[in-house]
Amino acid sequence: MIKTLLCLFILVPIYGKNIYFTRSGSVSFFSGTPLEDIKANNEQVTCVLDMETGKTSFRIPIRGFVFKNALMQEHFNENYLESEKYPNASFNGEIQNWNNLLMNEEPKQVVIAGEMTIHGVTNSIKENGIIYKRKKKVNGQATFNISLSDYMVKIPKILKKNIAESVELKINLELKKK
Amino acid sequence: MKSFFLLILFSSSIYYSQEDLLSFIDDEEPASLPIQSIFKATRIVNAQSVEMARSKTLEFIIFHRFGSMSNGFYDLYGLDEASVRFDLSYGLNENISLGFGRSSYLKTYDFFYKLKLLSQKSKPSYSFASVVLFSKLEIATINKTLEFKNRLIYDVQLLIARKINQNFSIQIMPTVIHKNLIQTEDISNNLFSFGMGGRAKVTKRVSFNIDTFIPLGNRRTSFNQSWGLGCDIDTGGHVFQLLVTNAQGTFESSYIENATGNIKDIEIFFGFNITRSFII
Repeated sequence: MIKTLLCLFILVPIYGKNIYFTRSGSVSFFSGTPLEDIKANNEQVTCVLDMETGKTSFRIPIRGFVFKNALMQEHFNENYLESEKYPNASFNGEIQNWNNLLMNEEPKQVVIAGEMTIHGVTNSIKENGIIYKRKKKVNGQATFNISLSDYMVKIPKILKKNIAESVELKINLELKKK
Repeated sequence: MKSFFLLILFSSSIYYSQEDLLSFIDDEEPASLPIQSIFKATRIVNAQSVEMARSKTLEFIIFHRFGSMSNGFYDLYGLDEASVRFDLSYGLNENISLGFGRSSYLKTYDFFYKLKLLSQKSKPSYSFASVVLFSKLEIATINKTLEFKNRLIYDVQLLIARKINQNFSIQIMPTVIHKNLIQTEDISNNLFSFGMGGRAKVTKRVSFNIDTFIPLGNRRTSFNQSWGLGCDIDTGGHVFQLLVTNAQGTFESSYIENATGNIKDIEIFFGFNITRSFII
């Protein structure tokens, strides 16, 4: 009896949740300078959204970024993001004003705020995004800039003209119910 | 007892924080990816490394070895003369690269390939080391009167390397070199040796490298064991390798079996390799 109760207590908060998720979200980054444009795309983003509270978590495996130039991809991992030391970037936060949000097919502007961790450095961010629900799937999109120096990603002097200090991130997710 | 229940109930709801959102779906282990950048370049100093031209990438290396330092200031420590090699290799895919080179030393042309047999991986699909088969055909053209088959030298190496951590990598290279034609003082057409090399990174972009080949079996009396000491500087687009070695040649049979220099007479050579990659 005690054991059943115990199990129930532990399980209730977990199975009671209305969770939407994806393991194949996409994020791309773009660094543009007059000398060189650098692009990479990652289709391995894990994202979880709690439909009751609007809380959300992301995990982005750094090794999942694919560049056109294999050597550049290696340098990105080895010299800049140090992916062996910091294999994932992550975000933990929430969609603000969740309780007043009416989720339907019409895209709605939302504000997402929380803690972003890249390269082992955590910063608070607050960015705009779009969210809507279509065919039982929740779609989310956001485009924003981050500054490399905020995350201690150092660019050697000789490459300062090739790599932008502020890079653009584009996130595109389609979450399904768990 | 009651308070214990409450505690459990309470803690399990509190414990459900943002971190745990991801734990709701984390039921599969992430696949492990090959370890990258065991070395910065496709050569350690003289020796081939397990790195190869990346997929769909043309890699161009220019090798430069100056003359012996033994003449001192007279020829500015060997800078007056130089031995040069051009080396082009192309990555057909992630596991095969093909290459071609021409060295001024003995006016030698060569054709080679690298075949990746195994990639070092971390857990869960663990593999201890990266293994690459390297094979090269050398054609020496300095002697105009030789028959074609007598110009040929074959090199086969198994390159086994492990990145111990971010800063240290080591490699061993069992090597066999077959010469179709040998000099009278040579002992055998087949020459076996065991190569060792490694690197220590001092910053993200600079590392110190070393390699040497220990001869197995007998050699002629004038034989010197080859060695190289180098420093890699990775600027993003290029890798510069500055080095000193006791071998002036830059292809396998020359630097493994024909190292002419020794430290005692300061008969060592300064040189550099510059690697540049192009996407095709």
